Amino acid sequence: MWSEKYRPGTLRQMTNQADVVGRLKRFAETKAMPHCLFAGPPGSGKTTAALCLAHDLFGERFMDAFMELNASDARGIDVIRTTVKEFARIATISEVPFKILVLDEADNMTGDAQHALRRTMERYTDTCRFILSCNYSGKIIEPIQSRCALFRFVPLNDDDVAGYLKRIAEKEHVRIDQSGIRALTTASEGDLRRAINTLQAAASVGKPVDEKLVYEVVGKVKPDEIQELLETAIKGDFIKAREKLRSMLLQQGLSGKDILKQIHSEVLRLPIPERGKIELIDAIGEIDYRLIQGADEEVQLSSLLARLGLASSQKRSS
Amino acid sequence: MSLPWTVKYRPKTLAQVAGNKTAILQIVDWLDTWEDGPPKKRALLLHGPPGTGKTVSVEALARERGLDLVEINASDKRNREALERTVGAAATQSDLFGRSRLILIDEVDGINLSEDRGAVDTIVKVVEQTQTPVILTANDPWDPKIGPIRNATTMIEYKRLGLRDTIPYLRKICEKEGVEVDEQALRLIVDRNQGDMRSIMNDLQVLCSGRKRLTYEEASWLGFRDRRATIFDALRTAFTSPTCLQARKAVDMAGVDLDMFFEWVYENAPRQLNDPRDLFEAMDSLAQADLYRARINRSNAWELLPYAIELETAGVAMSKEFTKPAWVPMKFPERIQILSRTRKTRSLQAQLGKGIAARCHISSRRAISLYVPYVKFMTRNNESAGLELAKWLGLSDETMEYLGVKREETEQPVAVQKARRKGAKVRKTIKRKRETA
Repeated sequence: MWSEKYRPGTLRQMTNQADVVGRLKRFAETKAMPHCLFAGPPGSGKTTAALCLAHDLFGERFMDAFMELNASDARGIDVIRTTVKEFARIATISEVPFKILVLDEADNMTGDAQHALRRTMERYTDTCRFILSCNYSGKIIEPIQSRCALFRFVPLNDDDVAGYLKRIAEKEHVRIDQSGIRALTTASEGDLRRAINTLQAAASVGKPVDEKLVYEVVGKVKPDEIQELLETAIKGDFIKAREKLRSMLLQQGLSGKDILKQIHSEVLRLPIPERGKIELIDAIGEIDYRLIQGADEEVQLSSLLARLGLASSQKRSS
Repeated sequence: MSLPWTVKYRPKTLAQVAGNKTAILQIVDWLDTWEDGPPKKRALLLHGPPGTGKTVSVEALARERGLDLVEINASDKRNREALERTVGAAATQSDLFGRSRLILIDEVDGINLSEDRGAVDTIVKVVEQTQTPVILTANDPWDPKIGPIRNATTMIEYKRLGLRDTIPYLRKICEKEGVEVDEQALRLIVDRNQGDMRSIMNDLQVLCSGRKRLTYEEASWLGFRDRRATIFDALRTAFTSPTCLQARKAVDMAGVDLDMFFEWVYENAPRQLNDPRDLFEAMDSLAQADLYRARINRSNAWELLPYAIELETAGVAMSKEFTKPAWVPMKFPERIQILSRTRKTRSLQAQLGKGIAARCHISSRRAISLYVPYVKFMTRNNESAGLELAKWLGLSDETMEYLGVKREETEQPVAVQKARRKGAKVRKTIKRKRETA
């Protein structure tokens, strides 16, 4: 994937997030750093920054002194107690007296795991620095936030995205015109990963990349299914909406939690009475909680679809 | 109807017991060793599905050998005192008339830990000390609660009966009853009861009553009408009962297990309730029931089951208020079919997600939504790029096939692929990756 191939390897190669990168460079120069919390939207460079910092700090010893865990895949309390501890407690003997452990997507960690982590961070501060990355720092418990230096990553601006894309296109010999670049930057909304993936997908077709091709790719890879799902439910065709939901869960393998989150981000924009939206938010929150308790994704989400049908039917009758 | 056939034709001798000949031989051999005093393991544990002949073998054996059978089963109280009084006494004292005894403790996996307190320990004690042969039976010998019993006994497995074990036997019975039954009809009955002799006999008797001849069509028609009618009636009850009390009965009528019953109700609720207000109430009750079921599954809190049942029956029945009357046929729960049909796809998706996660510094869950659509687009549009990508991700042949990528002749050794996948969680170098990217 080009998004990996062209991922910057050192802090010097990171041309955006100047504010953050400047501070990180100082860490690398002084060979000292606190625990860090990287917060920002997807594709804004959090993981890259962590990798670059580790690379600049450790150089050849990168492999021994750096570890990356994805909190969504390994987010249980067990992992914190075993894997993390194992890595953190063994000191390194070298000019940089600590290791770095990156916990990606830390906002997906359960509260219990976060509390376990807090103790671990405290105990092994001498030997290990933690970098937690998340989309919203608010989802990280207060005690952890207070132990970390917070770095806010902002979405990349269009010029930065365009610059990256042009460089990649040149190296990969992809013909792309100005309209293609503009379409890519607009569609990716400052998410560089999405922009590069879209570019690579468009280039795989083998034709010059222009606006039309970009939107063709965007439509194929990210059809507005949530929108469709919600519209069907609002129209009152519950059975069809449930079928759609079923295929998203079972055929595409999407997680119920992700679908719920996407529904949540659309709710306030829905064409239903405003008062009904408050109930919906409450219902979504309740379902989120239930899914954590192990409830059935389809059954819970379809109860939400039925609620949408109800909310819109009340609009029609009033 | 006169005597049930299961009683009327209960085997009197071991030769009459259908199937499981090896198991029966083992039992006889074991009993013979008692002539030289108690063997090392003084008890047998016969285990297998219901209706495979465990209990009747023991009964026939006792009869053939003229042994006094002391039997205790699940319907008896089986706490420590009760067991010591009956089995314990029989195991140590001799019979008044000097006859030898055989002790049968039936259905040990049905022991209720709270009601039958101390039962498992007592049984183990009896088995270790007995001067009389003891035979135990169980459907599920791996039930953790009877672990100690398992260790103290020799296990003998009873298998489900096949056509060859059952058909000749059934044929004889039909002859005696004066009913002509088609071979196909017999096969159907055996099949449907999955080798459970007891239920085969029951079905056969019901189907044969008042007939001189039973054809395949009659057997299938009667049988299916029977089973389907139950679930359909149960669903009607769940959807239309005027009272909660009546609606709750649906679960017992259904004749399917609780999970399946839930699926039937969940599938059909939107078809039976055509007003959005009613549908919302029903789906809300079902979601609530589902939450209880989740809690039950998580912590084995079976005491919560009544709430789940009442919500998914009475809760659904009571949500019907505005729905206009209409007759809508019930549908088989589609989700079950789709779930099994798409299992492979989902596992391939997950593999793909893992492959991407190992390479792209992202969780496999997010990889499925953030990368998979692009990867799919590329592999479909550009074969060579797709192949290169698939190799870089270390995908298995199966996953590549799922993406529509054909593997080259020169394959990578499996070990290399495995090694790549192994590094899934801990990523150590970015350099190596950029070289191959």
